[in-house]
Amino acid sequence: MNTVLILLPLILTILFSLATVPILVWMERRVAALIQDRLGPNRCHINGIRLGGIIQSIADMMKLVFKEEFLPSHIKNKFYYLVAPSIAFMSAFLTFMVIPYADNITINDKTYYMQALPTDLGVLWFLAFAGLGVYGIILGGWASHNKYAILGSMRATAQVIGYEVAMGLSLVSMLITYGTISLNEMVTYQSQSFFIIPAWGIVIQPIATIIFIITAFAETNRAPFDAAEGESEIVAGYHTEYGAMKFGLYFVAEYIAMAASGALIVTIFLGGYQLPYLNTADLINNFELVLWLIIAFAVVTSLMFLKWMKSHNIYNTSGLDEKKVYATLIIGFTAFAILLMSYYALGFGHASAVGVMILQFAIFTVKLFFLHFVFIWVRWTLPRFRYDQTQKLGWNILLPLSLANIFITAIVVVGVNYGN
Amino acid sequence: MGIKVVERHGNTFKEKLYLPAIFAGMKSTLKHFTKNLSDASNIPTICYPEEKPTDITPRYRGVHRLTHREEDDSIACVACFMCATACPANCIEIVATFRDDGVDEKMPAIFNIDLLECVFCGYCVEACPCDAIRMDSGIYSVIGKVREDFIYNKAKLLSIKGISKEEYSLAK
Ligand code: SF4
Ligand code: SF4
Repeated sequence: MNTVLILLPLILTILFSLATVPILVWMERRVAALIQDRLGPNRCHINGIRLGGIIQSIADMMKLVFKEEFLPSHIKNKFYYLVAPSIAFMSAFLTFMVIPYADNITINDKTYYMQALPTDLGVLWFLAFAGLGVYGIILGGWASHNKYAILGSMRATAQVIGYEVAMGLSLVSMLITYGTISLNEMVTYQSQSFFIIPAWGIVIQPIATIIFIITAFAETNRAPFDAAEGESEIVAGYHTEYGAMKFGLYFVAEYIAMAASGALIVTIFLGGYQLPYLNTADLINNFELVLWLIIAFAVVTSLMFLKWMKSHNIYNTSGLDEKKVYATLIIGFTAFAILLMSYYALGFGHASAVGVMILQFAIFTVKLFFLHFVFIWVRWTLPRFRYDQTQKLGWNILLPLSLANIFITAIVVVGVNYGN
Repeated sequence: MGIKVVERHGNTFKEKLYLPAIFAGMKSTLKHFTKNLSDASNIPTICYPEEKPTDITPRYRGVHRLTHREEDDSIACVACFMCATACPANCIEIVATFRDDGVDEKMPAIFNIDLLECVFCGYCVEACPCDAIRMDSGIYSVIGKVREDFIYNKAKLLSIKGISKEEYSLAK
């Protein structure tokens, strides 16, 4: 139990960052397709099982891995050229280490942290590594010895300088509000309620939220701030000279960075792993009721999904009958989960602390995937900002706005504390 | 007069805020997303090969066919070599022979089109003085296991039906 609980957050980090990449790529492509009235990739299959097209992104990844490793002969600094994608990838991956996936759990008087890196300096770690990720881009662009690559990496540099400041400052206002720099305590703070509204960061600090989300888009080089790879003017920007898995690392790093930013936004502004109005103690006390609610929810959603699948999965590929396989799996899994949950819900078992932990993972995952959806949704809605517009927005608007927000926050916080 | 002043947008506070426009845009993309997610039947994408295209018209340049004469159903081609001369891909092979049935003087003994070399330009159809070769078959996918499968001979070309109402050669 000990080792499991200590290793669990590490495993979750790997799952949330690496294992979600094929799912994110798939989501990106299918959501984009549906937004543009297309269908998106849905043909690739393994013996008839398509998983709605996820197999396609797995196949794409395999292709990148097995592609020829090509090194352009004009590159002089081979070491930097090769190490750059790994920097981007590693720093994106490490950003994830401080995200709390669930509340600290106490079993037998021993407290386990549900963070891969149980540190209180979570926010600083995030800022450090999110900033470092851009060094991979800068280094790659420079080492590529190519005009387009250099232009792309210069854009990335200028952008990150402009936006890192505003991002840091918007975080400072959150730190003042929460009075802590530990991410887990921030989430605990958000389990309170002001009158009837939950005290989520997005409610008490809307301006900081907007600034942070905008800067997070810029920081991860996602559209509309992806001028660093503006293919309409600078070919592919910083990764023009990269191929095979070296490009793959950049590609994956972008998605992991997006996932990490999403996780931090969830943690700081969207209540992290909390449900509104229910803090961890409430959940543990009313565990049975919560379980019954989940059971009802599971039944309804799986029925709805089955119905939806029937009308949407029309054509069969060769191999197994996909619809039957899914229907069996879904019904079987739901039945198993209901049995397991009703065992606890009827009061036979006493695993409520662990149960709440699992529930909180699930809540966190749902929120995270909602944010992924928002990232993708924004990307396929907004056109890319022109480079000067990006700079103007960063320096002329976001920076003064975040400064003003800090002052106002500080005044309010001091006033409230003084009043008490 | 004659001067049209175009109204400039983007100067009011609401427009400079930019966020309302972003949210409006996101609303419209979300509408497409939810609509297509709940009912995929309106998406114009064709799930080929399960679904076949429905918009193939007689003017679609498909696989060639050789037309027949209306009066006796014999081959309309007079082996004049105009199509083979016009063909930029040089993929039409014709061997001419006499015609003893009195309908005409000449006809092809061999008429092969190598579809692997054909670029589907339609020049052969343009060149033909007898309306003997047409590309109105509506066939858009040609499948074969060996290269020889793609060489369509006289019998094969004569057997292909057109999708237009003009079944026979219109030449008089
Ligand atoms: S379509 Fe063009 S290339 Fe093909 S046979 Fe006719 S003339 Fe030759
Ligand atoms: S198909 Fe037409 S152009 Fe070609 S040889 Fe026959 S009659 Fe002449």
